[in-house]
Amino acid sequence: MTGGVRAWLEERLGLEALRHVAEKKDVPVHRHTFWYYWGGMTLFLFGIQVATGILLLLYYRASADEAYESVRFIMTRVSFGWLIRSIHSWAANLMIGAAMIHMFSAFLMKAYRSPRELTWLTGMALLGLSLAFGFSGYLLPWNQLAFFATKVGIDITGAVPMVGEFLARFLRGGEHITGGTLTRFFGFHVAVLPALATAGLVLHVYLVQRHGMSLPPSVEDAGRPVPRMKFVPHFLLRDAVGWLAALGMLALLSALFPWELGLKADPYASAPAGIKPEWYFAWMFQTLRMLPSHIAGIEGELIGVLGIGLGAMVWLASPFLDDPRGRGRRARLMSALGVVALVYIVGFTLLVYRGPKP
Amino acid sequence: MERRRFLAWLTRIAGTALGGFILYPVARYIVPPATPEATTRRVLAAKKDELAPGGSKTFAFGPQPGLLIRTADGQYHAYTAVCTHLGCTVQYRAGGGDIWCACHNGRYDLEGRNVDGPPPRPLEVYAVHEEGGDIIVEKATPS
Amino acid sequence: MRAALRWACGLVLVVALAALAAHDTLAPAVGAAADTAAASPAPRVTTEKNTCLDCHRGLEGRLSAPTKDFSQDIHAVRGLGCAGCHGGNPRDPEMSAMDPEKGFKPAPAKKEVAEMCASCHANAEYMKHFNPQPYIFSMAEFRTSVHCKKIEEGDPKVATCTNCHGVHGILPPRDPRSPVHPSNVAFTCAKCHNAEYMKGRTVPTNQLALWRASVHGHALLEKGELSAPACNDCHGNHGARPPRTRDISLVCGNCHGREGELFAQSKVKETLEFEGKRGCVTCHSNHDVKPPTDAMIGFDGDGVCGRCHTPDSPGARAAAIIVPGFHGFKARIARADSLLIVAERLGMEIESGREMLKQANDHLVGLRATLHSFSLEPIQAALAEGSGLADRAEVDARAALRDWRNRRIGMALSLVVIVALIALLVAWIRGMERPTA
Repeated sequence: MTGGVRAWLEERLGLEALRHVAEKKDVPVHRHTFWYYWGGMTLFLFGIQVATGILLLLYYRASADEAYESVRFIMTRVSFGWLIRSIHSWAANLMIGAAMIHMFSAFLMKAYRSPRELTWLTGMALLGLSLAFGFSGYLLPWNQLAFFATKVGIDITGAVPMVGEFLARFLRGGEHITGGTLTRFFGFHVAVLPALATAGLVLHVYLVQRHGMSLPPSVEDAGRPVPRMKFVPHFLLRDAVGWLAALGMLALLSALFPWELGLKADPYASAPAGIKPEWYFAWMFQTLRMLPSHIAGIEGELIGVLGIGLGAMVWLASPFLDDPRGRGRRARLMSALGVVALVYIVGFTLLVYRGPKP
Repeated sequence: MERRRFLAWLTRIAGTALGGFILYPVARYIVPPATPEATTRRVLAAKKDELAPGGSKTFAFGPQPGLLIRTADGQYHAYTAVCTHLGCTVQYRAGGGDIWCACHNGRYDLEGRNVDGPPPRPLEVYAVHEEGGDIIVEKATPS
Repeated sequence: MRAALRWACGLVLVVALAALAAHDTLAPAVGAAADTAAASPAPRVTTEKNTCLDCHRGLEGRLSAPTKDFSQDIHAVRGLGCAGCHGGNPRDPEMSAMDPEKGFKPAPAKKEVAEMCASCHANAEYMKHFNPQPYIFSMAEFRTSVHCKKIEEGDPKVATCTNCHGVHGILPPRDPRSPVHPSNVAFTCAKCHNAEYMKGRTVPTNQLALWRASVHGHALLEKGELSAPACNDCHGNHGARPPRTRDISLVCGNCHGREGELFAQSKVKETLEFEGKRGCVTCHSNHDVKPPTDAMIGFDGDGVCGRCHTPDSPGARAAAIIVPGFHGFKARIARADSLLIVAERLGMEIESGREMLKQANDHLVGLRATLHSFSLEPIQAALAEGSGLADRAEVDARAALRDWRNRRIGMALSLVVIVALIALLVAWIRGMERPTA
């Protein structure tokens, strides 16, 4: 019976062509193959976010009066609501972590070299969208921590020269964070960002299929022909192992460390002590915190924002800055830059959580 | 051969079990719970003839207690039951026709106005509707 | 003959002078001031020359003392200079300023002070110029006091207005420097009501020491709670007099409304009145009131019931029911609380349990007041209701803990399945990729 249904669908959807592409796709096998899994991991976690996000939409209410109460309702009254919500919060963090691992491994393996420049740029755009997802989603439970972390975050955005003020007002929906901000963030989080992310994903995945997996320079230099494994079923099965491990991780985290409700946001209360943004912004936060208030007459915060911005520009332009063959002095310099960036980000993130309190 | 078939069968079982572990919570989740929404705005406070005239009832309105009163003329009135003085739970005194706080002798009238004792502000008054056989209490919209 | 005439003239002169002097000191000040007030409704504001101060400032001892703090005196601030009370002419730099014809009144004797102050302060029409809602009953109250009685009897060591309020540097009671500000009142009373001053009298003199150690004294002096009672709040300001035995519970009940109300309706009040014993004070004492504790309930240890009830009385039988019920209720609350804390630490949401426990605690607070009804029925009803709430809070906490355990079991099971599946996949991969022989 399934054979008959399949044949019926075949005729109408033209699945044959898809199957052909899937069967043709293969993945190089070498010392660094492990890093190839992280793009798929990010995609898997994104899928989890979409699924749990849609489920949360069934009960969440995006107004300042009701947001907190609706999240509490989900956590206490809806069957397994605690599970869906905790998975959504934990998977968000895991997804961004996976995306960063994916980005750094792609960088250090110089996967951005021609003809994959656009893949790199779309990937960076997707990372930016993930951070935007994280930032907008964090406010939605409307608790004290989220409220003030958002306030700090948008205030820092306001420090960008020229467009900062406008950007901050656009994000906030006014001069202060209000219920209007919540509505706006909700719109970003469930409509605008998913639409952009879908477009970006389609482009990114298409480009990956079109150009195939890149080889790191060290493997290319070895000269030997590189063995390859079929995507279906070998690589996919291995992907599945990873995904199952991630699923187990999420079950563990959700049951042992359920995401807390916190206290309802009170704009008139003083900010709780130790306010900090989520970990993926922590390194930027720490950088700005450590800069002196003024450097050569210019505000330290401004220097910090500009510095980070400049760094991001250089990072984005890596395909064009690096040696096209990925060899030579320029290439070594870029790799060193990548390692420095990685150490810097990891180090400063740790400083926020483990370092001395300011 | 046998081993491979056994493993395949086992994989199918495990896969189904995993599917169950995923689908069961999702299925339970999408079925609405007993109270269909967070009781921030409106709540079912009582059934139609649960209260006799002159009776009262404390009900949960979100995390806070509310007070539902049925006066002698059969009318319903509802207020927050949190005293505006120091937060004790107030009660209805049918004899005196007032709402009273046992902690420090605060008194409110049936409009919720603070008429005696330490409470500095009136009680928030809620709107009451009868829908079918239910007495629904709702936060009053600012007029 | 000439000698007799000389004597007669001298006698007439002396008598006339004496009559004049007597007239001035004995003439009721009330009449004089009232006349002037009625004649000129506006207060006599002297803002310019005040020769009284100018001259007396330069004198010594007793005569310059009034000038020291007078600029701060509320009467001076309101525009009433020396002449406002003493009359005379403040613009005249000569001794003629103190002319009794011009209405001058020297320092009044103790008996006359109250009347002098009352000449303005009991006059509603006059006081309204300064305060739309004046307090004009001080004199009427004073007349009911022990102090006034003793003054009329001629006792010199008794307080009148100036002894408490000061005389030439009077500050309003609201001013923290005033001797009648709530934080200072007790010490002002104690200026006379101490062992040394009251030597030879039967009045007790340990009240200040007792009160300072009491919960009221601590609240007022250390925590700065101005609503806590000092001497005047229970004994009266101007009508200072210890309350009658059967009025004591009404006095305490002025602030402790609930307890006072319940007590007034209880049988205990009747019995105490009949026996001439003091309400409230019997269990709580009067000057050294200590913060009441739950240990006061019952017969054992700090229990106060034994002060009146014998161990075989109906009261004792009631206590035998109340005491274990009360402590049992507290134990239930404590148990529910500890379970809720455990659940919270584990990350479970227990809002409704917390809410119920809060209500149970409210009942506990109310119960401590309800005890003053000294009637078994309402106490048992409150105990039952409160215990019910505490139990429901505990049920909530236990359900949360059960939920938490179930979550872990579910998680463990799902992990077993996942790990099994991973192992099977790995086996499948290995099986597929085994190098063909």
